[in-house]
Amino acid sequence: MISLIDAPADKRLRILEILGGHGIHRKLLSLGFHKNDIIELDSKSIFKGPILVKDISSGTSVALGRGIAQKIMVEIIGDKK
Amino acid sequence: MATKNKHPDIIFLGQPNSGKSTLFNAIAGLKADTSNFPGTTLKHTHSEVYVEGKILNIIDLPGTYSLNPSDEAEKVALAHLFGEKPDLIIDIIDASILGRSLELTQELIELGYPMIIALNMIDLAEKKGIKIDIEKLEDFLGVPVIPTIATHGRGIKKLLDTAIQTLDEQAAYEALGWSRDVEEKIEELKQAIPDDFPIVGNRRFTAVKMIEVRKPFFIQTLKDMHPELKAVRDRVTKELEDRHGAPAYEVIAAERHHLAMKIFEESSHVVRGTKMDWLERVDDIIMHPFLGYVILLAVFLAFFVIIFQVGNPLEELLLRPVSSLRVFLSTHLNSRVLFYLFDGILQGVGGGVAIVLPYFVPLIFLMSLLEDIGYLARASFLMDTFMHRIGLHGKSVSPFILGFGCNVPAIISTRMLESRRDRVLTALLIPFVPCSARTTIILALVAFYLGPLWALGFYVFNILLLGVLGRILAFFFKSPSPGLILEIPSLKIPSLKNIWKKTYFQLSAFVKFAWPVLIAGSIVLALMQFFNMDNVVNVILSPLVEKALGLPQELGVTLVFGFLRKELSLIMMLQALGVNYDALLTVITNQQLIVFTVFVSFFIPCLSTVAIIWKELGKKVAFLSMALNIAVAIVLSVIIRAVIGL
Repeated sequence: MISLIDAPADKRLRILEILGGHGIHRKLLSLGFHKNDIIELDSKSIFKGPILVKDISSGTSVALGRGIAQKIMVEIIGDKK
Repeated sequence: MATKNKHPDIIFLGQPNSGKSTLFNAIAGLKADTSNFPGTTLKHTHSEVYVEGKILNIIDLPGTYSLNPSDEAEKVALAHLFGEKPDLIIDIIDASILGRSLELTQELIELGYPMIIALNMIDLAEKKGIKIDIEKLEDFLGVPVIPTIATHGRGIKKLLDTAIQTLDEQAAYEALGWSRDVEEKIEELKQAIPDDFPIVGNRRFTAVKMIEVRKPFFIQTLKDMHPELKAVRDRVTKELEDRHGAPAYEVIAAERHHLAMKIFEESSHVVRGTKMDWLERVDDIIMHPFLGYVILLAVFLAFFVIIFQVGNPLEELLLRPVSSLRVFLSTHLNSRVLFYLFDGILQGVGGGVAIVLPYFVPLIFLMSLLEDIGYLARASFLMDTFMHRIGLHGKSVSPFILGFGCNVPAIISTRMLESRRDRVLTALLIPFVPCSARTTIILALVAFYLGPLWALGFYVFNILLLGVLGRILAFFFKSPSPGLILEIPSLKIPSLKNIWKKTYFQLSAFVKFAWPVLIAGSIVLALMQFFNMDNVVNVILSPLVEKALGLPQELGVTLVFGFLRKELSLIMMLQALGVNYDALLTVITNQQLIVFTVFVSFFIPCLSTVAIIWKELGKKVAFLSMALNIAVAIVLSVIIRAVIGL
């Protein structure tokens, strides 16, 4: 289990847990990010900026600040297609 | 049931970026009166349309991801939805992300109001390889589903026909069932709701919301008013949480999610090719960790250069007849008072046409273009890091960018920020973003007389100033910001029709609301000059204008008017100094021109901006904003004056 911030950009990932307060949790839920969803990192900014995450299950892309990304725990399930 | 003695209310509701407003505009364009001027209809846009001899009152609400609000804009949408029961809801869904969108749709069905679904962007879905069986989807949901492509106006006629049909039928919908154990708990709570309890939608919906809600205020009120109901609610919630090992709101969210995915999988057929769409490839470049920033910079430069290249020749062209008319008036009008009066009108009208519009129109056109493509969200992503340096995050970027058009909608758009701290901080900084009025001043004065490089330098300086101020303000507003969570919608090919419509809306708002102020201001100044009253104001302000800023005393009165509208300072400047546009530099120096531009740009947010800050964030923030601007303007102007040696 690693946090999304440490996850490699070339792998497929699965969301295991979303830590943090219920406000953040709910917001992510309503944007289509759920436990067990398959996600991919689209881009990492060079300036230690936010990361761009694509949820393969729901088909949405979301930009997440580093603070938020740290609270999303994932596991690697394979290579990106 | 709403048997109101008026036209039926139809609410447009959907998740952000579902193409809701495009659809609304396409329909509102059919006829009738649309109020969409920032500052008048803040809550929502509404419009009356005539369809088949019926008048429908259609209402566009801000986008919302769910019926559990997480920011101010969503609260506005929900307050309206729950406060005034509509006669019909049109739920707009982005077909290309059907699975997720169905979660809000389910909530609306649970609410039980009459509704129909506009399955929008069906072309985009097909491009992504998603084929949706409309009939199957209708069967699952029990709600009429009409495929639409809002940008092309496709499906709109059928949507409106179905709306009218559904209005006549007054159908109500049954919630779609969830897992049995969850349903049992909801039923228990539903039965416990007393008859005098304020029901929202129906009993089941109210029960579900009671389980989902986490607001301490609500729970305390419930405890005070209905202690038995609160006890049942707590027990039911706890049983759900124990059984599923997750917070109750998550249990409910998971139920909706699973059902949404099930409906999605069974009603559509995905042949997702691995081949990348060219738009996706473009998107990869725009969001590239390095190239993205190069492009961002290029976009900003292009933005500025295009506006100047279009505006400058137009301005020169349009000013000629204005000056010759002025010469004609001065030689042919014998009465002095008449000359002053006509000259005032001419300056107001001519200034609006020749000085303001050449820059204003390309600016709002380009802003709409960037918005339509979906670049604003991408700029927010790229700028997030820098925004952290000034104590904010990327979501504040799009209010700032909107601020380049007009500060008023920019302040309103701070509603999408989750915390009040972020809203206040962003709203205090927005008045330092050069809006179209100030850009006009910068281009019409600095670029026109000193050259475009100076104007560009002014812009860069302005952006640096924003950074420094943000840094200083963040020092006083310490509590951390909750961090960025922002959906990046798919990149779209811009629709010229859509962009033109947006430009036209803003242009007509300018002509209707701002222009009369410009003309009236010019006439008042002309009359003041005739009666020598402008001198009184000028003398009072002379310690500031003459001593501190080193400007001609006559400009004092123009600053007062600049509070009404920034362009007014520009137009009145010529009038106050009594010269033509081309002869300006004979009465003031280049340095004075720069100091004047700096001072006018920052000295106070214009009246509408102050009003909107007051309305959105309260009196204190409005006064704070004014004080901050005045202080910054004076300090800056004095420093600049000293630096360039006046």
